[in-house]
Amino acid sequence: MGFSENGKQYLLPEEALYLMECGNVQVFYRDLPLSIQDGYERFLSSATVSLQQYQVFGHLKRLGYVVHRFDPSSEPSSYARQLNLPQSRDRAGRQLKRKRSPSPTATCSYTEAPVEPTVEKMEEDKCSLEGDHVKKLAASPDIQTATTSGSDEGRSWWTTDDLGASDKELHHSPTSRSSRWDFSSIPFPDVGSSERHPSCLAPPEPSLLPGDLTVGVCDIASWRRKINLRMVKMSSKEQKREEDKRRRRWDVNKDREVRRCRNWAEYHELLARRQRKRKGRPAHLWNREVTPLHDPRQPIPTGELLDKISVIKSTHLLEGASRLKGSEEWRICFNVYQPDTVADFKKSNPGKPYSRMCVCSFDGPVPDLRVIKLLAFQSGDIPVVFAVVDHGDISFYTFKDFQLPTDVFP
Amino acid sequence: MEESPSMDDHQDSSLVVGVGLCDSAPLLWRLQDLKTVRSLGLVGALLGSLPRTPRQNQRLGRPLLLLPEEEKLLRDEEAAGALPGQNQDVGGVELQRRFEEDQQRSFEEQSVLALEDRKSALLRAMTSSHTGSESGAEAVDEALRRRLEALDHSFTFPQSAMAVQLSTARAGLSYCPEARAHLQANWPIREQNSPRSDARCQVFRDLRGRGFFLTSAGKFGGDFLVYPGDPLRFHAHFIAVCLMLDESVCLLDVLAVARLGSNVKKTVLLCSPT
Repeated sequence: MGFSENGKQYLLPEEALYLMECGNVQVFYRDLPLSIQDGYERFLSSATVSLQQYQVFGHLKRLGYVVHRFDPSSEPSSYARQLNLPQSRDRAGRQLKRKRSPSPTATCSYTEAPVEPTVEKMEEDKCSLEGDHVKKLAASPDIQTATTSGSDEGRSWWTTDDLGASDKELHHSPTSRSSRWDFSSIPFPDVGSSERHPSCLAPPEPSLLPGDLTVGVCDIASWRRKINLRMVKMSSKEQKREEDKRRRRWDVNKDREVRRCRNWAEYHELLARRQRKRKGRPAHLWNREVTPLHDPRQPIPTGELLDKISVIKSTHLLEGASRLKGSEEWRICFNVYQPDTVADFKKSNPGKPYSRMCVCSFDGPVPDLRVIKLLAFQSGDIPVVFAVVDHGDISFYTFKDFQLPTDVFP
Repeated sequence: MEESPSMDDHQDSSLVVGVGLCDSAPLLWRLQDLKTVRSLGLVGALLGSLPRTPRQNQRLGRPLLLLPEEEKLLRDEEAAGALPGQNQDVGGVELQRRFEEDQQRSFEEQSVLALEDRKSALLRAMTSSHTGSESGAEAVDEALRRRLEALDHSFTFPQSAMAVQLSTARAGLSYCPEARAHLQANWPIREQNSPRSDARCQVFRDLRGRGFFLTSAGKFGGDFLVYPGDPLRFHAHFIAVCLMLDESVCLLDVLAVARLGSNVKKTVLLCSPT
């Protein structure tokens, strides 16, 4: 407590009064000791520290906190904070015993920093693992290719040596030493060609498959029946039969909307409209000045879609706070530090405060958003606690910045 | 503790309570005043550190802060007056002389007591250490007597070791008797003229008149906490919320305060004076 100036030790009035109440200090004025009543009446006023502020001060000191007056000019500016200058008093990295959950802020970089490197590191590890795996795989078939290059049956990327049923015309893969995939040498079976092919594809090499996956032989016979079909030329009688079969199911004249068309132009319009509706572009939405924000035919991830159609923009507490001018009634009174046993507090190097106090009363107005923004801006990244005094009882309230979570998986 | 001189009075309690103003808040400092006020059924709130155990927040000591309604009640019943301010020059020299006399007297008393204390400690130490030995009790007594004599001669009680008392209420008051007229003369009128404070005052008087004890209920979301008897003996039964008769209340507010009341197991009273 107290400070020294000009070689003397000084005490602030609220500190002196607190020490008097604890019975540790006697204050003399004109050679007479002051009583506690004198202390209250002389030291507490709206010019120095008001009675309500002293109540909060005393309450916190009795609990063991270290309470200092707040000096707005001694706080680093927001730019300095953004640069994250390593101040000699900065103890942000240290873990304090009593942790509170910090409000998640977009501008707060140093609290998130420890999290990111670990995530990146994990991803890096994964990539390197995969890379190794790929390299390994690339290596082994090469070796096998080398050994079987002499054989007549080529070595395909798909078959193993056992199933040598390869009268497929596969390309030989020259021995390639590159560790990357050489796509020119990977043979793909030309299943659609009209030449004679077996009706099943051999399973891929098990070393290429992940884990315990086993793939059997693939039967492509049914598929091959559907390709390379020739067009069937039906005789006129057969064509008519097909059309009748179709027509019996649906008569266009029975359609009510078609009946409403009075001429061919309208009918064409009707057809065009139906076509567009089927394709997802109804006229009443798209043919006017105001069109929907997003064309449903274009694929877009859900998160981006939500952003695109959002009407409300989310903001954070400190937005616009730098433009606010200070007000007289609301100001931060005290810095509260945790005692030396929990955090490192030294008078020469107090470190960052645990919180900052603003004292008000239940008779007064509730702080509005403007006041909260102003005080949060003045305080920096340390939460502001409102100590509300009510005839001897003190309640502490704080406001935290909070972003609603968006439950979207991209 | 002195009481102010009981004047001829139409009241039963002729004790006048001296109220000190600190930062425009009414505070009671003297112990007798606190007792008087409690006997009138007013509770108030203690603000200061308790002298015996200063570093805790459960039990606080003087001064007692009065609610504005309590202050108004005392003033209307003419049971309180403002304490005189800090005596600047009135009796300054006189006070200092008395203070020094008191200090000297206290120092002398304390040095005697300190010597007694030392002797008894020495006695205890000597006798307890020699209880087991059989070697002549006379030798022990002789040594003891010699030690005590030496102590008598050489014992000094330093001034810095003296215990001093820091008085809570202003010491000067005990020297200047205050007259009732003198007290009331310099009572600064600090009226709060809003209709809301009038409503509160009337509700306070009414409930007090019925025998309830009332304290402030800011942290319960109401105006007063109503106790059926002394707060030291009972829990509060009601939370009183004062409204003006023609004030319209939003239903959501009523629901909120009802929820609050049920959470803390108290009944909420919506009070309006007619």
